[in-house]
Order: sequence, then C-alpha cells, then structure tokens
Amino acid sequence: MATVWAVVWKDLRIERRTRQTISVMVMFALVTVVMFNFALEVNLAAARDVATGLLWATILLAGTLGLNRSLAIEREDQTFDALLIAPVPRNALYAGKVISVTLFALLLELVLVVVFTVFFNKPFWRPPVLLILALGTLGYVAAGVLVTSMTIQTRTREVLLPVLLLPLSLPLVLPAAMAVAAFMFPALPPWGEVQSPILLVLLYDLLMLSVGFLTYRYVVEF
Amino acid sequence: MNLARLNRNVFILNVLAAATLLIALGMIFFYAPVERTMGNVQRIFYFHVGSAWVGALAFFIALVAGALYLRKPSPKWDTTALAAVEIGLVFLSMAIVSGSVWGKPAWNTWWLWSPRLTLVTIAWLTYAAYFMLRGAIDDAEKRGRFSAVYVIISFVTIILTYVSIRILRDIHPVVFGGTLESAQGAAEGLQEFSGLDSLRMVVTLNVSVVAFTLIFAAWMANRIRLQRLIDEAQTLKMRVAARLQGEG
Repeated sequence: MATVWAVVWKDLRIERRTRQTISVMVMFALVTVVMFNFALEVNLAAARDVATGLLWATILLAGTLGLNRSLAIEREDQTFDALLIAPVPRNALYAGKVISVTLFALLLELVLVVVFTVFFNKPFWRPPVLLILALGTLGYVAAGVLVTSMTIQTRTREVLLPVLLLPLSLPLVLPAAMAVAAFMFPALPPWGEVQSPILLVLLYDLLMLSVGFLTYRYVVEF
Repeated sequence: MNLARLNRNVFILNVLAAATLLIALGMIFFYAPVERTMGNVQRIFYFHVGSAWVGALAFFIALVAGALYLRKPSPKWDTTALAAVEIGLVFLSMAIVSGSVWGKPAWNTWWLWSPRLTLVTIAWLTYAAYFMLRGAIDDAEKRGRFSAVYVIISFVTIILTYVSIRILRDIHPVVFGGTLESAQGAAEGLQEFSGLDSLRMVVTLNVSVVAFTLIFAAWMANRIRLQRLIDEAQTLKMRVAARLQGEG
C-alpha cells in the first residue's frame, strides 16, 4: 500500500514541478471544445443536445495525451526500469499509475465541467454527474494504463494508442454518456432510468481493474 | 500433434463441415416454414445467428488461448489466439452484413445506431486493432505476450456488449437468454420478431448453428496448419541460409 502512494506521490511531484501533463491535457481539451463549437456553430440547439457526447469525446482524446505523457516520461528518464528493479509488487505500480492518471483526468474534468456549463448552458455541475464522470474515468484509465504500457514499447508508439484504446473504452462511454444525458434536464431523473447505464459503468470498472491487476506484470516484463 | 496427423484431421473436418453446411442450407430453404410477417427474408436469420454465435465463440477461444499463453508461453497458444481472432472477425463481419441485409426489409434501413449495433461495431474495431498491435511488434516473444494480454482486455468489450444489450432497450431481437426483455419489447411494440414460431424453425436454427461451428473448427484447423507450415518453411530457410554461409 505504501508503494502505491509512493508512486502516486512521485507522479504528483513531477507534475507540480514540470506542469507538463495537466497543462497539455487542458489546452488540448479547450482546443477540441472550440473546434466542436466551430463545427456545430450553425445549430447551437443541436450542439446542446450532443453536449454530453462531446464532453466524453473530449475527455477520451485528452486522456490519450495524458496517458502517453505520464508513461512516456517514465520510459524517457528510465525511471520505470528503476521501479521495476525495486522489490515491489507490479500490481502496486499499476494501482499507483491508475490513481495518479485518474487524478490528472479528474482535474481536467473539473475544468471541462465549468467550460461545458458555460458554453452549453446545461447543468454539468450536478454532483451525480460528477460522480458518473469519476467512475467512467476510473475505468477508462484502468484500461488506458494497461494499453499505454504496451503501446509505448511498440514501433508505432503514440499512433497506436488511440487505435487500441478508443474502441476498448467505447462500451464504457456509451452507458456513461447515456447516464450523464439523463441528468441534463431541469428535473432529476428517477433512479430506474439511470440504473442500468450506471451499473454497466461499474461493471466495466470492475472488469477492467481485475484484468489490469491480473495482466499488468506481463506487460512490463523485459 | 504432428503435421501428418494434423493434415488428416484437417481433411476430415473440411469434409464434415462442407456436408453439414449443405444440409443446413437445404433445411433453411426447403424445410423451415415461411415466417408469417416477414416472409422469406426471415431465412437470413439462420445464417445471421450462426455467424454471430461463432464470432462470440471464437473470441472466447482467443481469450482462453491468451490466458494459457500467459501461464505458459508457447507459440502454440499464440497461433491459436491469432487464428481465433482472424476467423472470429470474419464471422462477425458476416453477422453484421447479413443483419444489415435483413434490416433493410425489416426495419426499412440498412443500419441503425442502436446500442446493440453500435457495440457490435465497437467489438469489430477492437478485434481489428489486434492486428495493428501485432504488426507493431517485431520480437516474437513480446508480440505473443502483448497480444495475449490484448485478447483478454478486448473480451471485456464482448462481456459488456452481452450484458448491455440485455439491459438497455433496443430494437434488435434477443434470441439467447433474453425472455424478460423480449417480452417487454413485444409488449411495447418494439419487437418486430419475437422468437421462433414453430419446431421446424428451432430445428433448422440448431442445425445451422452446428454447421457454422463445424466450419469454424475446420477453419481453425486449416489456419493452425497453415501457421505450422509457415513456421516450418521459416526454419528450413534459416537452415539453408546457415548452410550456405558455412560453405561460402
């Protein structure tokens, strides 16, 4: 457990000193949002209807950048080799990476929630929405850390990550976007309406984390 | 299994699969009754279910082969997983195309972005990306290891697809294990096709599922044999090269 927090703490400290990952993610996300607005400009009402999908698309795209950055730093500086030599369980490294990248993504989402509330005039700030965002992010990052650890060791590296990760995360995003969309009306939806999408998100989180814990050690071997 | 025995088994499987496919085709066209509301179009259904079933089976076999590879790395399991994903992708494409052909008369459109169709497309993309991953790694041992991890991750999308089409409302009929939801759908008029009306249809469906499973088995055997030949040719080439270098 101490190892997990050591990894998280190390990543946060790197981020505090360099401010590379978060700033790139936020900038990229803002550019994406502006691009979407530009594409949907003619019909703002339509843009409002698809805003939840846009939010998730932005998170996914910015997420691939964050994942790549967070794991490529380790490769470049060969800190990961040091971590692997250290007598700590691989699962602790996986958990630490998942937690730190999830934290980065959550920070990004806070910014995006404000931006989306302002641009699309929809209640994205509601606590249930934030909770769904957090749950969805966890599953996405759980898959992302595993896949990114593989792709950074391949020949095509950054190019390969979205091709592998985006289809993998779509079964998560589909119900997550449905659940968020249910909260976009003035009245709160009844639990029966959001129950199945939220359960699907939880199921995905559970499955992905278990697969991650079971297979991560095969991904970082030499 | 040695190559000579594999050759013989492949031949037997090929003949068996071709024979059952002919029987299934005959039953689909001459034995199964004409469906009341959709007419002859419904006959696509036997083909569609058969190929969709094989798609799921193939990805499950890939998952098992991947897990076995991680437990004990051997080229055998890597080849099995590769063959299963290749063939599963072909059958999944057949299921999508036949479904689309059925959808045009039944739903009056080739394609709908309903959850089930969307998720199947996603599963297709996920497994197509498997070849991108394989292509990007040169080292055979690493390629086997990463592909094994990847088929395990991708099976999560199959599980999610299976679960979500049973709890999200959809226009697509549910055949396996979805009585509750299909009854609901029928009550709401969502279902255009609510199950099998006669025993003849059930028998035809089962025969065609068996036929497709046999074709899958035959293709797997052929593909694994092909990979074995490729590997053997590679070894021979290396030996010739080594010999020539020794002489030169």
